[in-house]
Order: sequence, then C-alpha cells, then structure tokens
Amino acid sequence: MKFNKLLKKLKIYLDSDADQLRKEDEGLAKVLKKLKKKEHALKAKIAAEKDKDDREQLQQELKVVHSQREKGIKLLATLREKKRK
Amino acid sequence: MLKNNLRKVLLPTILIVLAYGFWISPDFKEIAAGVAIFLFGMLALEEGFKAFTGGVLEKVLKKTTNKLWKSLSFGVVSTTIMQSSSLVSVITISFLGAGLIGLAQGIGIIFGANLGTTTGAWLVAGFGLKVKISAYAMPMLVFGVILIFQQSRHLKGAGYILAGLGFLFLGIHHMKEGFEAFKGAIDLAEYAVAGYPGLFLFTLIGIFATVVMQSSHATLVLIITALAAQQISYENALALAIGANVGTTITAILGAFSSNEVGKRLAGAHLIFNVTTGLIAIVFIHQLLLAVDLVSAYAGIAETDYTLKLAVFHTLFNLIGVVVMIPFTNHLVRFLERVIKSEPDQYAQPKYLNESALEFGDAALEALRQETARVYEKAVGVIAKGVSLDKELIFSDVSMKQVIKVQNKAVAYNIDDAYEREIKSLCSAILDYTNKITSVEPVIGRQISRIRLANQSLLSALKDVKHLQKNMLQYIESDNPEISAEYNHLRQRIAKVMRRLERIRLSEQESETSILSLDALKLTLETNMELLQERLNGLIRDGGISADMAISLMNDSNYTYNIINNLIQINHNYLKSEEGLETEAEHMIALNKDEIDSVLADGQKQTEQR
Repeated sequence: MKFNKLLKKLKIYLDSDADQLRKEDEGLAKVLKKLKKKEHALKAKIAAEKDKDDREQLQQELKVVHSQREKGIKLLATLREKKRK
Repeated sequence: MLKNNLRKVLLPTILIVLAYGFWISPDFKEIAAGVAIFLFGMLALEEGFKAFTGGVLEKVLKKTTNKLWKSLSFGVVSTTIMQSSSLVSVITISFLGAGLIGLAQGIGIIFGANLGTTTGAWLVAGFGLKVKISAYAMPMLVFGVILIFQQSRHLKGAGYILAGLGFLFLGIHHMKEGFEAFKGAIDLAEYAVAGYPGLFLFTLIGIFATVVMQSSHATLVLIITALAAQQISYENALALAIGANVGTTITAILGAFSSNEVGKRLAGAHLIFNVTTGLIAIVFIHQLLLAVDLVSAYAGIAETDYTLKLAVFHTLFNLIGVVVMIPFTNHLVRFLERVIKSEPDQYAQPKYLNESALEFGDAALEALRQETARVYEKAVGVIAKGVSLDKELIFSDVSMKQVIKVQNKAVAYNIDDAYEREIKSLCSAILDYTNKITSVEPVIGRQISRIRLANQSLLSALKDVKHLQKNMLQYIESDNPEISAEYNHLRQRIAKVMRRLERIRLSEQESETSILSLDALKLTLETNMELLQERLNGLIRDGGISADMAISLMNDSNYTYNIINNLIQINHNYLKSEEGLETEAEHMIALNKDEIDSVLADGQKQTEQR
C-alpha cells in the first residue's frame, strides 16, 4: 500500500515535470516563430531604408534578432533532447 | 483653478501686509522677526536630527519611548532638566518631523513634559532657583555654526541642532522684546471679577500673558507677585495658572508650522491635552482647591504660603490631566490622523494595489505590473525634467537632434523633491505589496522578484540622474562648444532610449516580442559607450576640454550608461508577452551581457574585414 502511494506521488511529480517541459517547449516555439517573422520584416525594412544612420540601427537590430534566434533554437533542441530522455 | 489663482495672490498679499506692518510698527517688526528666527531654528533643528536617523539617537529614542510609561518619564525627566516644556515640545516635534519617533511616543513625551514643567514652580517657589537655559543661546549659536562647517555628518548634525536651539532662543527673545510694549497693558487688578466669569476671564488673561511673554514660568512669577500684592484673589491666580498652561502650547503650535503633518498632529495633541486639562481644572476648581488644601496640610505647607500652594495646584491639575488623558491616547492618535491629513497631492498614492487581489497570484501580479508601469511613467517624467527636456517632445515624432536643439537651456529641477512626492511612496507600497502576496507558484514568485528588480533599477536610475544633473546644468550652456556638445550628446542618448522604450511599451499589446526588443537597445548602449570613449580620448589629446571637464565627462558618461541600462532593466523586468508561456520563453532567450558583447565583437570584426 505504502509503495503504491509512493509510486503515485512519483508519477504526479514526473507528470508535473513533463508538463513544465511541454509548456517551455510551447513558449519557445511560439517566440521563435515570432522572431523569424521579425527577422524577415527587418530585412525588408533594411532594403527599403535610405537613411544611413537608420539603416545601421536596423542592421544592429537584425544581428540581435539573429543571435536571439540562434540561442532560442539551441535552447529548444536541448529541451527536446531532455524530453526524449 | 480658483485655488491656484488664490495661491498665486496669497503670497504677494502676505508680503505686502507684512511690509506695511513693519513700516507702521517697529514692535510688530520685532515680533515677526522673532517668529521668523524661531521657525528658522526649527528647520535647523529638524535638519540636525535628520543626520541621526538610523543611528544611535534613533535607537536610544526608540528604546526610551517604546512604551507609554517610558515616553512619559522621558518627557518628565527631559523637561525637569531643561526647565522648559516648550523646548521639549518643539524638540519632540522635530524628532517627529525627522521620523525618529512616532506620534504615540511623541504624545507620551508631551504628557510627560506637562508634568515635568510643574517642577519649575517647585524650584521657583521652594528654592528661589531659576534655571535659565536661554543664557546658553549665544554660545550654542557659535558652537553650532562652527560644527556645521565640519565634514563629519554627525558633527554637522550636532551643529545644526545647536544652532537650531540657539535660533529658537534668539527668536523667543525677539518676540519677548516685541511684546514688551503690550506687557504694560496687563494690569491684573483691573479685571478682578468674581465667580466663574472671573475664572474664564483670568484663564484667557493667563493665555494672553503667556503668549506675550513666551514663557509660562514668567507668567507664574507674575501671578505670584500679583497674589502677594493682593491685586488678585487666590482663585483668580489659579485661573491664571490654568491659562498659562494653555498659553504655553503656542510655542509648539508655532514650531509645527515649519514641520510636516506629523509635527502638526503632535502640536494638536499638545493643545488638546492642555485645553482639556484646563477645562477639567476650571470645572472642578472647588474640588481642586480642597485637594490642594489637603495636600498642603499633609505636606506641612502654611495656610498662607500661596506660592507653594500654587506649585501644588499646578502639579495636581497636570497630574489629573495626564491620568485622564492616558486611556485616550490611541483615540487621540486616530482623531488627529483623521483631522490633520497628509496633503493628498503631496505624496502619490498607489492606484492599483488593492488588498482583495492579494489572494490571487495572477491578479496581484497584474496590479503590481500596472503600478510599476505608473511609477515608471512618473520616473520617466522626472528623468526628462532632470536633463532639462520635455517628456512630450521626447515621445513625439520630432527628430531627436531637433528636440535637443529646441531645448538647449539648462532648467533647474529639484529631483529629490520630485522623488519624495512622486516616487518614493509608490515604490515602497509596491515592495510592501510584493511581501504580502501569498501565492507559492514558482512562476509567480519569479515574476514578483522581477517586479522588485524593476523598482530597484528605477530608484538607481533616478539617483544617477541626480548626479548627472549637477554638471549637465553647468555644461549644456557652456561657452566651450566641445563640452556643451558632449553633454547634449548625453542628453540625446537618454532621450533616444526613452523614445525607443516608449515605442516598445506601446507595442506590448500587439503580438510583439517586447522583452527581446530590448536587446537591440543594450547593443546600442554598448556601441555608444565605445564611441564616446574614443571621442573623449580625442578631446583630451587635442586639448578641446580641460582636465576638470574631462573628469566630469568621464563620470557623467558612466552615469548616463547606468541610467540607460537601468531604464532598459526596468522594462526588461516588468514587460510581458501575450501569454505567460511566452514571457518566460522571452526571458530565457534574452541575451546576457556576454552575448551582447560577442554580437558587438562580431560586428566590429566584419567592419574591420571590410
């Protein structure tokens, strides 16, 4: 009886952990999608921008978004690896 | 509108009336100067006590006044030593004004002071001894001013206290001198009336005489003399003593003018106590007379020794007052807090932090976020004014160069005052609220700590603007075009970030990644810092600015960096996405300092390769 109870508790614990991972996965995926869109939009803006200063600023922004996407993709990959295990 | 116009008219009117009064009456001039010096003394006293907040004095005061009996004894002992209840009450008001003690403790001290002051009558009557602390006024002023010039905070504080006390006495001295002309008009024999009307009349005379002479002790001496000369009856003499006890509160009331609402509440408590005690004494005058006779007989005081009997009376009726009023101390505190309110517009009050949301983690978090947004908006206004810019113009579509060009004049602005009125109370309410939230969910806990961090960054940003403002006001209009350009550059950088942050904030509602948008700002911040360093080196090398200017600019560019960084951090910590999941994900993805630096280094490498 006691052992069964322990098993139950373990399952709830593991489930909550899994739920947490699922939520993180979902959040990251959504944000990555938005970042991808943002990256495209920025590229289009840069192509259209004539002012040198403003273009430089947009380019900087693009670099940042790109780095964020890279970081996000790595995080998501690690997360999915964890889930598989 | 009408209130504002009235305010505008009020000050010039007061000044004109005073000037006219000074012109027609030298006595009035003396009295008014006395009041002014006295109030200046109060300000100095409060300034002095502020230096000791959080230190030994505060600890000692807290320990010696944390219970009613302790604060009572404190009042009795200090008044006995100083032989002036007025002095003890004004010092207590300045303790309150400086936040060293609370109202209840202050009331305890005032009650005690009323008892302590009766020892004066005993000293005069019994030993003919008269302690005159006012004799020390001049030395106090001299020592005080010398100490004010010292570097140490505590010595400076002690200097302000001594000078404050000196000014208090000097003010009282001038008031007395001014009233000298009216003193002759007090011919007690003229007013002798029997029964209760006489009692009330002599009480009023006692009040008037004490106000005029600025000392209840002096009134007591006058009473004893008049009694000895049989100018007045014994009953009338007692009424005068009651009046003197009420009149002595004038000093505290005067002192409260320069104090905040807590000081005013204490002066109110003093007045209520003394008036109530006076009324009790008048109503039960016959019973009191009997009691005085009994006590006098028991103590072996001669039937005709009115001087000592007066001392007995004085002690007895103040003792009765204390005994009657002690049970009502808490009611008195509540009553005074209700009647004398803090000015509603003086300190900003929280708008969203309601108690009912506390039980629901999400609702409480939203309340905190909205309140933080509100305090952020206020802080942005303070920062804009701190760098002599208009917030509306910063947020407009006008090019930033144009904004700086249009507002190229240094405008003095008191950041400390704005902080006290607009920010401090809100930030402390927010922190207080975060401590009350009961939710144990880890996500909520994380977000609460972010809100705390946002408020912390906000306070740091304001502190840095205060530092930056000092040189900025001096240099933006400097004759040296190089330094003026650099300081305008710093203003422009702050304003630019404020504008970009505002746009990010506004897009928060749309499906944007607002938290991540802040990373681009961090990158710009680092890039600009490097560019500034290069320019600064050039300016120093070419001798465009003096060494002093260079040091100021180095410090102020650091302040600017911190202000911008803190502004970004505030938004980083309180902005949110459409869904909670995304907010957390954005925080995971947001680049840290090293990652920003590596983006910056990559960019530099690419430029070099080109």
